[in-house]
Amino acid sequence: MTQLAATLRSSMADAFARRASFWSQVGTMVANDAAWIAFWVIFFHRVGAVRGWDQHRILLLFAVLTTSAGFVLGVLSNTKRIPQLVNDGALDEVLALPVSPLPHLLVRRIDSINLGDVLFGIVLFAVAGHPNPERTLVFVVACIASAVLLTGFLVATGSLVFFTGSGQLGDMSLHTMLLLANYPAEVFTGYTRALLYTAVPAAFVAGVPARLVDHFTVAKGAALLTAAVVMAVLGWTVFSLGLRRYTSGSAWSRG
Amino acid sequence: MSRARPARRLGVPAALSAQRLLADRGGLAFSVLFYVVVVSALSGLWRAAAGRAPVAGYSAVALTWYIATSEAAICAIQIRLIEEIGDDIAAGTVAVELLRPLSVVAVRIAMQTGRALARLACLIGCGAVLALLVAGSPPSGGAVLLAVPSLVLAVAANVSLQHAVAAMAFWIRDARSAWFIYQKFIFILGGMLLPLEVLPSALHTAALRLPFMAMAYAPARLASGHFEPGLLLVQAVWLVVMLAAATAAFAAGQRRLQVVGG
Repeated sequence: MTQLAATLRSSMADAFARRASFWSQVGTMVANDAAWIAFWVIFFHRVGAVRGWDQHRILLLFAVLTTSAGFVLGVLSNTKRIPQLVNDGALDEVLALPVSPLPHLLVRRIDSINLGDVLFGIVLFAVAGHPNPERTLVFVVACIASAVLLTGFLVATGSLVFFTGSGQLGDMSLHTMLLLANYPAEVFTGYTRALLYTAVPAAFVAGVPARLVDHFTVAKGAALLTAAVVMAVLGWTVFSLGLRRYTSGSAWSRG
Repeated sequence: MSRARPARRLGVPAALSAQRLLADRGGLAFSVLFYVVVVSALSGLWRAAAGRAPVAGYSAVALTWYIATSEAAICAIQIRLIEEIGDDIAAGTVAVELLRPLSVVAVRIAMQTGRALARLACLIGCGAVLALLVAGSPPSGGAVLLAVPSLVLAVAANVSLQHAVAAMAFWIRDARSAWFIYQKFIFILGGMLLPLEVLPSALHTAALRLPFMAMAYAPARLASGHFEPGLLLVQAVWLVVMLAAATAAFAAGQRRLQVVGG
């Protein structure tokens, strides 16, 4: 744990080292998120409500999504680079250290640009989420569960590179997950909606947490926590199994 | 004759880029899959919104064809093109290209347009099948035919403007953030996520006067059943303006690059 904290401190110091670049990247992401908010505001201003979702609830969804996904892609930024790290042989240096490889790998690099998402999400919740102690507590816990679930999913799909040799499935999963998490699952019907609660559990990343903040039920809370635990275990298992197949990044050892 | 030769020569890098893209089957499949996911999600949202009554004059069917077309026009182009051009400028790679007997920016635009058109053909084919399956036939056959040349103009104008924007790297050595902001203009003011008629009145008027409307809105408006041939003329004018802007920006930047290089 101490080593993990030290690695995280070092990653943060690295991210903050170039202050001007850091803030310009954070500002860029805030502008990006503001454009999405503009889209949703215009959309709901024109159509009213869609299948139980209105402007207030979609802003809540976006607050959860930007906070949790921003944390995962910003603070644990290597979650999206596992295929590249494996193919480049960059795990060699991690395996030589007396630490558990996966947690160390995840906190080793911070992407400043995604910290803009975290900042935006927190401010959006403060402004449009009608925060009170109860809603804030649910928001925080739901964001943590969402971040755990997203990390597990990205690690699991990224680790498929150990078995397939190609990182394209990991990239596709990342983009698909983030894209679908932008929309309420209720917009979809039939198999597509079922998919969002199972194979690509995008509904649990933002839609379900947003509903919990608005209307907490034990059943939905338990479903979210269960999904997060299942995905975390899946990510850990696929990475651990895959690591056994990892031989070396040395170019001459690969066929 | 002397004017036609450079144009013919530019066809070679364009065709080679298109062939290279089509040869990368994995990459192409990835692009198509992602496009299908995007169109399914966004058109699903719009169909849900227009289920009971049309939105800004667009029916659920029209909106599905609109989104399939607008997304194809944008997804056909390399997503981080501005950033990549900027990196090439900042790293000095572009200096080597000055040795060619053709304009650097013309060759680059030809190559990227060739790639984009090859990808566009695959995307719009899949998009049309998807729209047919989930929504039904296009609202107007004639308008859909006009959408084909409109898509080509949209891609060419977009690639040209991205080169003009990326040329900022000649001065500030970095265009990494610019693509992010540029995309957001395309998303809203270009009509990629929503028809411009959905925007509030003042924003709608402003968006129709900006070049971004030529890059997604124009072909999507046609594909959604609005027979408005005038849109092609507007796109052609914007394409000429964008090409001139990119050429001027690169010419000015290259002069500066020579000064920096000594």
